[in-house]
Amino acid sequence: MSPVAAIAGLEVRRFLRDRSNIFFVFIFPLLLILLLGSQFGSSAASTRVAIAGGAGTTLEKALAEQLTSDRLQVYSGSPQAIREEISRGRTDVGLFISEQAAQAFDDGVQAHMEVLTASQASGQAALQKVRASVQIVSSRQSQLSALMKAGLTGDAARAALERSKEQVHAPTIDLVDTGDVSQEFRGLGQFDLGATQQLLLFIFLSSLTGAVALIQARRLGVVSRTLAAPLSARQAVSGLALGRFGIAVVQGIYILIGTALLFGVDWGNLWLTALVLAAFSAVAAAAAMVIGSLLDHDGAATGLGIGAGLVLAGLGGCMVPPEFFPEPLNTISSLTPHRWAYEALADIQRHDGTLADIMPSVGVLVALAVVLLAVGARILLRSLGRAL
Amino acid sequence: MEREPAPPLTGTALTARNLVKRFGDLTAVDDVSFQIRPGETYGLLGPNGAGKTTIISMVAGLFPPDSGSVDVTDIRMGPSSLGAKRHIGLVPQELAIYPDLTAEENLNFFGRLQGLRRKDLKSRVALVLDLLGLGERAREQTKKYSGGMKRRLNIGVGLLHRPLLLILDEPTVGVDPQSRNSILEAVAQLSTEGTAVLYTTHYMEEAERLCDRIAILDQGKVQAEGTRDELITLTGGVDRINLIGTGRMVAAAESLRTVPGVQQVSGGGLSGLTLTVTDGPALLASIITNAATAGMAVTSVELTRPDLESVFLHLTGKALRD
Ligand SMILES: Nc1ncnc2c1ncn2[C@@H]1O[C@H](COP(=O)(O)OP(=O)(O)OP(=O)(O)O)[C@@H](O)[C@H]1O
Ligand SMILES: [Mg+2]
Repeated sequence: MSPVAAIAGLEVRRFLRDRSNIFFVFIFPLLLILLLGSQFGSSAASTRVAIAGGAGTTLEKALAEQLTSDRLQVYSGSPQAIREEISRGRTDVGLFISEQAAQAFDDGVQAHMEVLTASQASGQAALQKVRASVQIVSSRQSQLSALMKAGLTGDAARAALERSKEQVHAPTIDLVDTGDVSQEFRGLGQFDLGATQQLLLFIFLSSLTGAVALIQARRLGVVSRTLAAPLSARQAVSGLALGRFGIAVVQGIYILIGTALLFGVDWGNLWLTALVLAAFSAVAAAAAMVIGSLLDHDGAATGLGIGAGLVLAGLGGCMVPPEFFPEPLNTISSLTPHRWAYEALADIQRHDGTLADIMPSVGVLVALAVVLLAVGARILLRSLGRAL
Repeated sequence: MEREPAPPLTGTALTARNLVKRFGDLTAVDDVSFQIRPGETYGLLGPNGAGKTTIISMVAGLFPPDSGSVDVTDIRMGPSSLGAKRHIGLVPQELAIYPDLTAEENLNFFGRLQGLRRKDLKSRVALVLDLLGLGERAREQTKKYSGGMKRRLNIGVGLLHRPLLLILDEPTVGVDPQSRNSILEAVAQLSTEGTAVLYTTHYMEEAERLCDRIAILDQGKVQAEGTRDELITLTGGVDRINLIGTGRMVAAAESLRTVPGVQQVSGGGLSGLTLTVTDGPALLASIITNAATAGMAVTSVELTRPDLESVFLHLTGKALRD
């Protein structure tokens, strides 16, 4: 085994050996993904719509049917209960059907319904979907009443509409479902989004906080012993860098496999995912080298590691999905490696992205890694001299 | 198959020439030169801040001297001289082991850095663990070790790969007398096997006991160099012999004054006779014979020699330890 591999292997082994890592590296990420998935995951995956009143009326039935066929989750409840659910963010949209509205619908005149949405961005996206569904229901109803006015019986008119629906291939559904955001998360499993976000967050976080090991190694005096051994300083630094990279990769692979097995997360093409993971891990490793070299104090490094790890993750879309970012934030977001990795993973996961599709994102990550590694290696080398 | 070239039996293991190292305005090492032959133990004796560790760092190739040179056998040492580094084993002053790894893991890791491979590594690790008396607790994290055990492991890592030159920087600091003894014995053993040893200490007893030659170092400069006896003659110092006994003390004193090498004889009462002589150990036999012949029955003899402490005091005007 070459000295580089020996040093890298030792770094990874010491990382795995550290008991305080067991929770934060192996238990916490999966726990968080589970929590996020059960909290927000369902609403991100499918919008929840509640219908109050109008039970058994044509309007209610037509709406429920259309909303369901548009893949929204529909349930009915009392107005009071629904208001509460919405205010807690557990339901995205509430539709309130009054008796007058139900009657007006049957009469073929304009019906007014009250709509209540959650105030967050996901509520707006959901409202968009509901609006589209309502529009379909209302246009069908107006077609129906037009046919009946033209002299058809109700049944004949309905049959004619059914036929036309089969012949004309529901173009309306594609047409109305235009909200970018809702489109974006279509078909994503309950845990998929959270898993992607936490994957990136924890790779970076574990790497940065793990940088303390570099500081400790200097203090332990093992640096002088290492440099007195027959290996070049460049080999020593390469070994340390490779060790940091190995730690990031271990964290990544663990979450990847853990979420796939436990939560059935579909990561898409594994090779492409691995490529993104490797590029992102290299950035994380290099960032860890910079922190571990510049700082000499454990506490400062841990603090900075956690702070930077969380802020970058937040900006990079690992807490709130970046699809909801307003403009200045969206641009700032693209300064983080997290955002580029997120976009690449989203491409692979949601759009069957190919190598060509993710190449720009991976390219940015690799470039960032190269620059950071060059800087990190240089100051790490200098920091070793400081330890003698 | 033997992995490592046979140590040269002749020639030098280490040659340090005119080493100079400055830190800003401070000249930490000022024109230091010395040589060590295979099988020889060379001591650097000096107080805190004398420059011992700085010299060792340059000898081990951790950083280059500002001027001067270090050769290990005939290979020039420097930070990137892997050929020279292959032949040295460094035991740093500070503990240089991973506390979260076991003794065995520490040895395995550093052994690999030294280029030891599977079988050779395994047998060397077992041997060193045994030598250090750590065999039983080899699979325990070293943070659970006592200070002395850590020190022993620290040394073990340095000699794992059978270096031609073993460099020990104050290896016994903070160690109980028993551990210290076993450390000194292990070093002496290696020396008889042909290993050249560079040993720094500020304990003069260790330097006296272990080192074939000693450099007395102060403020970056070698104040004097030589064997222990050579250094002591530098002080112009004399040995003191105290004879206690009964019988014809005055006659004995008269007789002893005529022995060549005896400079002075004083006393004669109950406290016995006190002699100042040039070479106590050599004269001891004839002094006792003379006293007996003159009619004194000697019951006890005490020889006091000047030590390195007095040499240091003589050379620098201050005590070795503050
Ligand atoms: N990296 C450094 N930067 C600045 N000054 C240094 C550095 N290393 C050593 N010195 C100074 O050089 C002088 C010699 O230090 P050195 O560590 O070689 O002494 P030493 O003989 O090993 O002392 P001790 O017995 O305390 O270990 C001291 O004055 C020390 O402060
Ligand atoms: Mg020192």
